[in-house]
Amino acid sequence: MKIFITGITGYIGSKLAVSLVEDGHVVHALVRDPNSVTLPIHENIIPFKGDLQDIESIKLAMKGCISVFHVAGYTNIRCRDIDPFYRVNVQGTSNVLKAAKENLIKKFIYTSSVSVFGASLPGSVITENQPRMSTYTNDYELTKVLGENLVKEYSSNEFKCIILNISRVYGPGITCYSNGINKLFTIILKKGFLVVPAKMEARANYVYIDDVVEAHKLALKQAKAGDQYIIGGENATYERLFEIMFAKAKMKKRIYPINYNLIKYICNFTSLFSLFKRYDNSLCSRILDFLFTDRAASSVKAQKQLGYRYTSLEKGLDLTYEFIKKKSHENKLLHSYNRS
Amino acid sequence: MKTNYYTLITGASQGFGKALAIECAKRNMNLFLIDLPRTSLVNLQVFLQNNFEIKVCSFEMDLSSKEDCDKLVKFIHHQKVELRYLINNAGVLSKGFFNEVDLHYYLKQIEVNICAPTLLIKLFYDQLKRNSPSGILNVSSLASYFSLPTKQVYAATKAYLYSLSKSLNLEFRDDNIWVSIVCPGGMNTNPYMCYKNRTMGWFAKLSIMDPEEVAAITMDAFLERKEVIIPGTVNKFYLTLGKLIPQSIRDTITTREMNRFRTAELSMG
Repeated sequence: MKIFITGITGYIGSKLAVSLVEDGHVVHALVRDPNSVTLPIHENIIPFKGDLQDIESIKLAMKGCISVFHVAGYTNIRCRDIDPFYRVNVQGTSNVLKAAKENLIKKFIYTSSVSVFGASLPGSVITENQPRMSTYTNDYELTKVLGENLVKEYSSNEFKCIILNISRVYGPGITCYSNGINKLFTIILKKGFLVVPAKMEARANYVYIDDVVEAHKLALKQAKAGDQYIIGGENATYERLFEIMFAKAKMKKRIYPINYNLIKYICNFTSLFSLFKRYDNSLCSRILDFLFTDRAASSVKAQKQLGYRYTSLEKGLDLTYEFIKKKSHENKLLHSYNRS
Repeated sequence: MKTNYYTLITGASQGFGKALAIECAKRNMNLFLIDLPRTSLVNLQVFLQNNFEIKVCSFEMDLSSKEDCDKLVKFIHHQKVELRYLINNAGVLSKGFFNEVDLHYYLKQIEVNICAPTLLIKLFYDQLKRNSPSGILNVSSLASYFSLPTKQVYAATKAYLYSLSKSLNLEFRDDNIWVSIVCPGGMNTNPYMCYKNRTMGWFAKLSIMDPEEVAAITMDAFLERKEVIIPGTVNKFYLTLGKLIPQSIRDTITTREMNRFRTAELSMG
């Protein structure tokens, strides 16, 4: 079956595309840069040069396809300006929906985030029915929810639209800001210790990349029009997460917590230096709050209705550790090779 | 505050109404939520019931229909719900210039913003008196203080609520029922409004508040029986400024803003 994908050069999209062609599908991918290093190469992955802003390029790339995975999203929350978020996550989604409807696409899977539900209440987990308890504090969540609303509006029995709310993803894959866990692992391996905000009890949901890919394929096969599923893994506090990570790296746990508010003050101060720049520091108070909000979630609905299963955090982090170790080894080899 | 008494909130499924419902839930107040059908009201009901130690009822209805209001009274009677607080929050927002908007829209707006609160106060007066000390909170708007093109009917309906509340507060004093009026400014209510507010200039952004923040201020003041509630320092400042500067200057500023709005509309259309 021919499938159209956006966001193929990204963390989830690249993995999904490879998995789809392994299953025997042909993938049409919309790419801004066909020479992108993160574009997976395969004879059944056909890149079409285009842009989410250019609806004609989307229509052309979609020709002959039956299903659509709209994975692309603007996720760089360092950006101070809402425009890029809006252009990609709202206008882009609108264009893909329009093109899909015109091309008589049967199923449309929209990759969203669990962060659109906001924080989880203490002792409780986020489910698909949780009403948002507070207003939208960052542009990513806001534009993702606007995108979701568009998808819901379009959904019908002829044009089945499904939303997947993915929690925090980790595991082997390209390096980008969507997989912070991989970065943390690299730091642990390199420095042997972590300096963290003293809010280690913050609980979030962590999902292994391969489970996310599997969930997309399950949704394509089984989900019904208008369905929405949280795709997550285990809920864990930072305390537990770091404990497992240090154990996997076979190192003694060395964590230096610093008062949360103090870090926030420092961040706000350093943010002043980039006040007139488009991007904030990678550690600004907005991102800190985003990362240290309780986001425990439950994917029971997907487990019941789609037969979704997730990898345990122990096993997932084990696989991630092996991947990162291998990669840093390869990097070292490459480095010494270049020198000689 | 564990009681068997309920707080009725209209328009509770989203925006400021939802924020008020959550704020009341945090204060362990039992809730009776009202909104139109198909507004995910039941979701909110179930969620609040599961996560707070309160009882929550919900009733889907159209406040502009007298029939539905009668059904509501019957339902409340049947369920033996005893109200202590009535919060008239539901409202139809403004849409554009007077000569461009359909008459039916305005009539509906008047029904929801003016008739419904009046009717509900009348219908539940006996209950509130029986369960006193009790309170009525009407949600008006900062718009009720200003003459605002494109918000003509909306602002007028909100001014009605303001005036009604102040009179009723005096009238009901002997019954131990107080009537408060809250006049919020711009708020980040639904995602669309959030986006609109975020793309405004920094000066206009100053007065924008989050609904949960406004809800907390409002409930504090309401339970202290304050008559007029203006949430936010910037809003209070605007209001004082509006009273201080002469009308001619005020009108010039408003007209200029209106013309700017008109050209923006034209360039968009």
